[in-house]
Amino acid sequence: MNRQEVNLNTQYKKGVLELCVMSILKRRDCYGYEISEYLSKYIDIADGTVYPILRKLKSDGLVTTYLSEDSGGPPRKYYSLTALGLKTYEADKKEYLSFAKTIETLLEDEDHDKK
Amino acid sequence: MTKNEFLLQLKNELKKNNISDLDDILSEYEQHFAFKLADGYSEEEIAAKLGDPAELASQFIPNAQEKKYCGRKVVTVIGMIFADLFAGAFFLMFFIFAAVLGIVAVAAVILGICLLGRLNFNDLIPNMPYLCAFIFAVSFFAFAILSAAACLYFVVFTRQLIRSYKRFHINVIASSSGKATLPSLPVYPLLSHKFNRRLRMLVLSSVTMLAVSLVSGYIISAIIAGNLEFWHVWGWFVK
Repeated sequence: MNRQEVNLNTQYKKGVLELCVMSILKRRDCYGYEISEYLSKYIDIADGTVYPILRKLKSDGLVTTYLSEDSGGPPRKYYSLTALGLKTYEADKKEYLSFAKTIETLLEDEDHDKK
Repeated sequence: MTKNEFLLQLKNELKKNNISDLDDILSEYEQHFAFKLADGYSEEEIAAKLGDPAELASQFIPNAQEKKYCGRKVVTVIGMIFADLFAGAFFLMFFIFAAVLGIVAVAAVILGICLLGRLNFNDLIPNMPYLCAFIFAVSFFAFAILSAAACLYFVVFTRQLIRSYKRFHINVIASSSGKATLPSLPVYPLLSHKFNRRLRMLVLSSVTMLAVSLVSGYIISAIIAGNLEFWHVWGWFVK
């Protein structure tokens, strides 16, 4: 694999992971570790990758953070989807699903043609 | 790698990449260690699962690629205006071509009906036996179908071309201002297999019909007129 391919791949993955993180946050506010655990149940990624994504989402204004001490332990930093984040998520989700559907049709067509 | 080694390495890498808010980032990873340790994992295991600190640190660089495009937005927008004018002229031409194809189809149908119904306005249609007129009418209908199919495909093609160009336009502007780009759209229209198959069948059968009726029209006309150049016998092209 050459360098450009690696780059494209990570960029692509990053976009999809951002979408996944936003989808989790749409359901409820979470702290970073929760999101990392939840994602690693479904996707095989390095645990540490979630934090750069959360930070990017925050700097883009799609999520905000607040501290909460509800469980008695040290204060945890919770992430919460902003109104802009929700809007972006809905739009990106739609875009991604239609894109995925197109790819699926394309790949299935290729299988079909082979037969 | 132990927890402290991991955090130190991450800190150094982040510093190297000039990333602000070091403590904020590091505290997230510290918390991660704390949670995992409570679950009974060893520091080495946790560090290994977190990933390579250098790799992670590089992911904190805000959109490294897009940065270099900043400040070029004005130039890009001006460039795109010219590109739009140029492309717009092409699209206009394509639509006019599609319209011409449509008009040709309508004209061919009218001519076919005139031949079939023996309607000869203003003596525009040259004189010929009705059998020949009938066969030529069939060829005009076939030609009309062919032009209509071409018109239809051309409209669909141009529409997709415009959509694809629009996406390209949006992406160029977005990337010049450092925003995320959308996947580009294909230039050719994505028609369903069924539609493609039907269009192909229609074109094939109308081409066949056109060829058969033209050839048989010529042969029959030549036989009836008793001359290979039947148009001379029937006095065509003479005023």
